[in-house]
Amino acid sequence: MSTHTGLPAKRKAPGSPPDVNDNKGRRRSPTRVNPALYLFPLPAVAVIAFFLVMPTLQAFQYALTDWNGFSAAFNYVGLDNFIRAFTNDSLFTNALTNNLKFVLLVVIAQTFFSLILALLLTKNSRGSVLLRALFFFPTILSSVSVAFIWKFIYDPNFGLANAVLGGVGLEALQSSYLGNDAQALYWVAVTQVWFHAGQMMVVYIAGLQAIPRELYEAAEMDGANKWQQFKSITWPFVAPATSIVVAYTTVQSFKAFDLILGIAGNPPKQSLDILSTRIYSTFANSEFGYAAAQSIIFMAMIALVTWLQRRLLRLTPKGE
Amino acid sequence: MATRSAVNNRHSKTLNEEIIVSQISRRQAIALLGALGFGATAAACAGPGGSTAPGGATGPAAPATGDITGKVSFAHWRGEDKVVFDELIKRFAALHDGVEVAQDISTSNDYTAQALQKLRGGSIGDAFATFRGSQFKNFTEAGIYTELKDSKAVSNYQEGLLSAGKSGESQLGLPYQVVFPMPMANVDLFDKAGAELAPKDWDSFLAMCEKLASSGVIPISWPGGDVGNGGQLFNCMIANNAPVDDMCAQIEQGKLKVTDDWFIKMLNQYKDLVPYLQPNATGTAVEPAQNLFSQGKAAMLATGSYHIAAVRGLGAQFPIELVFPNTSDGNAKYEGVYNATFILGVNSASKNQAAAAAWIDFLSEPENAAYYANETAQHVSVKDVDYTNPDLKRLSPWLDKNTALAARFQFQNLDVRNAVEASATAVISGTSPEQAAEAAQKIVDERI
Repeated sequence: MSTHTGLPAKRKAPGSPPDVNDNKGRRRSPTRVNPALYLFPLPAVAVIAFFLVMPTLQAFQYALTDWNGFSAAFNYVGLDNFIRAFTNDSLFTNALTNNLKFVLLVVIAQTFFSLILALLLTKNSRGSVLLRALFFFPTILSSVSVAFIWKFIYDPNFGLANAVLGGVGLEALQSSYLGNDAQALYWVAVTQVWFHAGQMMVVYIAGLQAIPRELYEAAEMDGANKWQQFKSITWPFVAPATSIVVAYTTVQSFKAFDLILGIAGNPPKQSLDILSTRIYSTFANSEFGYAAAQSIIFMAMIALVTWLQRRLLRLTPKGE
Repeated sequence: MATRSAVNNRHSKTLNEEIIVSQISRRQAIALLGALGFGATAAACAGPGGSTAPGGATGPAAPATGDITGKVSFAHWRGEDKVVFDELIKRFAALHDGVEVAQDISTSNDYTAQALQKLRGGSIGDAFATFRGSQFKNFTEAGIYTELKDSKAVSNYQEGLLSAGKSGESQLGLPYQVVFPMPMANVDLFDKAGAELAPKDWDSFLAMCEKLASSGVIPISWPGGDVGNGGQLFNCMIANNAPVDDMCAQIEQGKLKVTDDWFIKMLNQYKDLVPYLQPNATGTAVEPAQNLFSQGKAAMLATGSYHIAAVRGLGAQFPIELVFPNTSDGNAKYEGVYNATFILGVNSASKNQAAAAAWIDFLSEPENAAYYANETAQHVSVKDVDYTNPDLKRLSPWLDKNTALAARFQFQNLDVRNAVEASATAVISGTSPEQAAEAAQKIVDERI
């Protein structure tokens, strides 16, 4: 990486005044950064400090209190909030379980479908471009709109899903969807995959189009079938794209707050409560200290799951 | 030479300036970044806690006099009443030159979750409304309400309905609306089925449902997929089952348990309702439930009178009555339930309290309260109101009946409320009453 000095290079002309650095017996390094440049990121640093660092530090402090969000008085309770979350709050552990289940479902399904779509639509034909646009379309919708569309689809009385099933004589498969506690999370996962698979497909297409064609030609000449080509060429080459897709989908699934709230209402019932909605409910319940502790656990959980995924999928070499 | 020397001097000066700037910049950069980091850390470590001036029971009274001018922010959750309030705002502005009222409307769920934080600074919600129960209590504790005991508005209200806005001896808020969280009935369908509108006990209620079902309609449309609206039925079901009137407060305090016999009996009664609800009731949102009722497919909508305007908006032409699911065995203590809510108040942090108080006074005048009531199809707590809306006229006798104050708003902890109400939903989904009660009690116990 080259370093810019930020000042135009000066040619020392005969008779020109001596360089001050020369006077001190030191030579100015051509790669030295003008310290004034350190000030340039200051506005961005200030914004990050005030809107990210400071609230995060505050969250750590609040997590150690029983503050209710509006009183001037509060008590420091040590790690009680963290202990409570794991040992004496079945709503939190339920939300955590739901969230992990939701992440697992969505990451697997979304990665799979986006890769399949990308493989089918890699070529830049007119039809592919049209279909790509079609599959990408849900991404540009707001999550609230998506939630309302799918709320209508899943409605057991007037909804599209039951109407279609009834229309083709599959009444036995009709369901109350979001009203069925055992199934509700799966139906929301379907919505989440529909919402974001097109976006991840684009990431995969970019990865697939960067693979040199010669590799496939060589593999064909060696007699490799399609599956062998996929296993030995495509999959290793799209590993960086997979890494992005998996990490992004994980974070997205952990934070499917607006979709859940839109589709399941506020507060969502227990079968659809995930960590972000639980934290919101705890805030709304005037338990700011406890909600801050839940937020920190949430943050740690995303970091841990993302790291574990990368390790398990061998997308991150050791030491990185 | 002179020219060359001048050039050299200028060059030398420029370089020196650059060096100085560089040296200062480095120091400044370190100092500024250090100061920024220190400031951020110090600010982050500042203790939590509000700076809202204490209002509430010990706080200031809303000013009786003062300039009624400037902007007033009116925060509430009744988006469906916006047009009606707009008209009232016009009338208010016509009385007071230079005053402007702007509505700050959130959805009811968002309002429940966020209003306290939004309003405590005073820039939003010079005048505002709260729900009865935990929200009113939190606003009181946060000192957001001002004392209205001596305000002009108080005398306009029915004495018996003001208690929901009291904290000790202080009258902090004025409960504006009177709603009946009981199933609404399509009278035409009841007549056609020959079902009685006022069952005297639980068996009569079930017999009534049976008659409606036999006539080919869904007896009860219940939005089980919507926690807020689905929970309104709980008010009716618990009113005559509980051993005491403050049953929900006692559940929350651990004095009563949802595993007690009376609660299990209530859950069994929920189970009795299953054949009379629409299919897949636990997955039904409020809008489809309203549609079933307004289209005449369901004879009752188990939400409350606050949905009259909505179902009329959906095209319901039939006469509407209220039906109380009487859970008693014939000796009911109550013949219905009501709620006094939309508790109006003046923000103690407001910079325009005089105008905000004047707006509350204005809304509390019988003529304006009547306009609000008749246009929104909701009864009000204000005295001497002339109800001209046909639905309100028909339902007005309920104002004089022996009704219980809606119990679900006694819960101060929303997690407890949701868990207790979810036990009823679980029973309707097929869980046994005992199991559902145990699951709910576990959550209650964790929060005692």
